[in-house]
Amino acid sequence: MPKYLLVARDDGRWQTASGEMSPAQMQEMLQTYGAWGERVAKQGRLKGGEKLRDGQGKVLRGGNSGLSVTDGPFVESKEVIGGFWILEAPGYADVEKLVSDHPHLNFGSLEIREIEDMGRA
Amino acid sequence: MSHEHALVDHLFRECAGQMVSALTRVLGPDHLDIAEEVVQDALVKALQTWPYRGVPANPRGWLFSVARNGALDIVRRDALLRKKLEPVFAIPTDIEVGYAEEAFGDDELAMVLMCCHTDLPRDARVALTLKTAGAFSVREIAAAFLCEPATIAQRIVRAKRTIVEQEIRFELPRGDELRARLDSVLDVLYLLFNEGYNAHEGESLVRQELCHEAIRLARLLTRRDETDIPRLHALLALMLLQASRLSARTDETGMLLLLAEQDRSRWDRTLISAGMRFLESSAAGDEVSTYHIQAGIAAAHAVAADESSTDWALILRLYDDLSAIAPSPVVELNRAVAIAMVKGPTAGIRALEMLRAHPALARYYLLPAILAGLWLRAGDSARAAACYGEALGLSCTSPERRFMQRKLAECTAHGAPAQ
Repeated sequence: MPKYLLVARDDGRWQTASGEMSPAQMQEMLQTYGAWGERVAKQGRLKGGEKLRDGQGKVLRGGNSGLSVTDGPFVESKEVIGGFWILEAPGYADVEKLVSDHPHLNFGSLEIREIEDMGRA
Repeated sequence: MSHEHALVDHLFRECAGQMVSALTRVLGPDHLDIAEEVVQDALVKALQTWPYRGVPANPRGWLFSVARNGALDIVRRDALLRKKLEPVFAIPTDIEVGYAEEAFGDDELAMVLMCCHTDLPRDARVALTLKTAGAFSVREIAAAFLCEPATIAQRIVRAKRTIVEQEIRFELPRGDELRARLDSVLDVLYLLFNEGYNAHEGESLVRQELCHEAIRLARLLTRRDETDIPRLHALLALMLLQASRLSARTDETGMLLLLAEQDRSRWDRTLISAGMRFLESSAAGDEVSTYHIQAGIAAAHAVAADESSTDWALILRLYDDLSAIAPSPVVELNRAVAIAMVKGPTAGIRALEMLRAHPALARYYLLPAILAGLWLRAGDSARAAACYGEALGLSCTSPERRFMQRKLAECTAHGAPAQ
C-alpha cells in the first residue's frame, strides 16, 4: 500500500499558544492530538512520526561561488516544519480524509506527499 | 512510544506538583523558581514531541526524567548549586503507575505545609499552594478568584520572598507549629474547594479542577499520623459529599438547579460513600469542628431520597450547633431555610426578616432570594416577585442572575404583576 509523508508546518501560532499554557491546558491540547493519532493508528494507517528540533537547521547551497551554508530554514520562511508523520493509505483521497480534522490545522498547514515506491517501478 | 496510550486525568498537573515539590526539597525553597522552570520546560517538551511520536509507555516517568535532566543541567553549571548534583540525581523518575504518591507524597505534603505557613497572608497561601502544589497557572488562579493575573503574580512573588527572608523551611513541622500549620492548611483547602464549588461564570473546567485538587491535597494529609486528624476527615467528608452533587447542580443549559430540583440519580454514589466513610472516621476523638457539623449537614442531604424526606429537624439542630460555635450571618441565612422546612415558610420568613437589620447582609442578594423562595412556598407570588426583583438589583454571578430571572418569570406566570 502507498505511503505518505504528512508534514506539519507551524506558522507561529503553536509557539505563542504553547508558551502561555498551563499544565492542564497542555494536557488538554495533547489529548486532541492523541485522539487523532489513536484513531488513525487503530485503523492501521499511522506508521510513525518525528518532531524536528525547533530553532535550528542548516541550509546548504552549491554554485559558482562555492558552497554556502546558512542557518535556517527559519530565517526566510514564515512557516517552519515542526515535524512529520508517515501514513499508509490506498490513495490521496483517503489520506485527505484522515487528515481533514487534524488538530494541527489550528496552528498551521499540513502537506501530504506520496512517497515514491521504487520497488513498483 | 505509541499512539494508543491515553493520558490519565490530571496527569500533567499532578506530575508538575510532585516534581516541583521533590526538586524544592533538594534545591531548597530559595530555588523554587528553578524547580518550577525546569518542570514547565519538561511539560512543554512533551507537548512538542508527543503529538508526533505518541505518548510514551510511562508518561509520568518520561516527564520526571526530562525535568530531572533539566535540573541536573542547571545544577552542573552553577558553582553554588553543584553540591546538589547527587541529591537531584537521587530523585526517582522510573515510577510505576500507582506509586507516584508513595514516592512523592511526603514532598508534596511538605510543600503544602510550607505554602500555608502562618507568616504568609491568607490570600498568598492560597495562591502559592495552587501554583506550586497544584500546578495551576497564574491566569487560572486569577480566573478562579475573579481577580487580575498581575495581582496573583504579585502575591506569589511576595510570598516566595517572605519564605526566603523568614527562612521558612521545607519540612514536616512538629508539635504546636504543626498544629497551627495544619489549621492553616485545612482553612486553605476549604477555601479552595468552596471557590471551585461556588457558581461563578465561565472557566468551569478550572473550577472543577479546584475541587478535585482540594480533595487530592486533603487526602495527602492522611498519609502521616501527625497530620491525619479527625478534623481532616470531617473536611474530606464535607468536600466529597458536596462534590458528589457537582454535575447535578446545573441542567444541560448550564442553569443552576435548587437542591429540590436536582436529579438525585446524578449524584455521584462513589463520592457519597467515600464521604460517609470519612464522616464516620471523623468521629474519633472528642472535637466537634465546624467541618464536622457542615459534613453532617451535607450527609443529611446526601442520604435523603428527596427534599420532603430529608431530615430537616436534624439539619436545623446542626445549624443551631454551627451558629453556637461559629456564628455568622451566612450560617443564620441557612438556618432560616431549615427553620422554614421544619416549622413552615412563615416561621422561616420571620427568621429572615430579623436578619435584614444585619449590616453584613444588607447588600447580599441571597437574603431576598431566599425570602422570595419562601414567599412562593407560602403561596404569595406577588411578594415573591418583589423579593426576586430586589435580589436582582444586588450584585451576584451570572448563573445566579439567570436562576433568579427564571424564578421571577415563574412568579409572574403565577399571577404576580410583572416587575
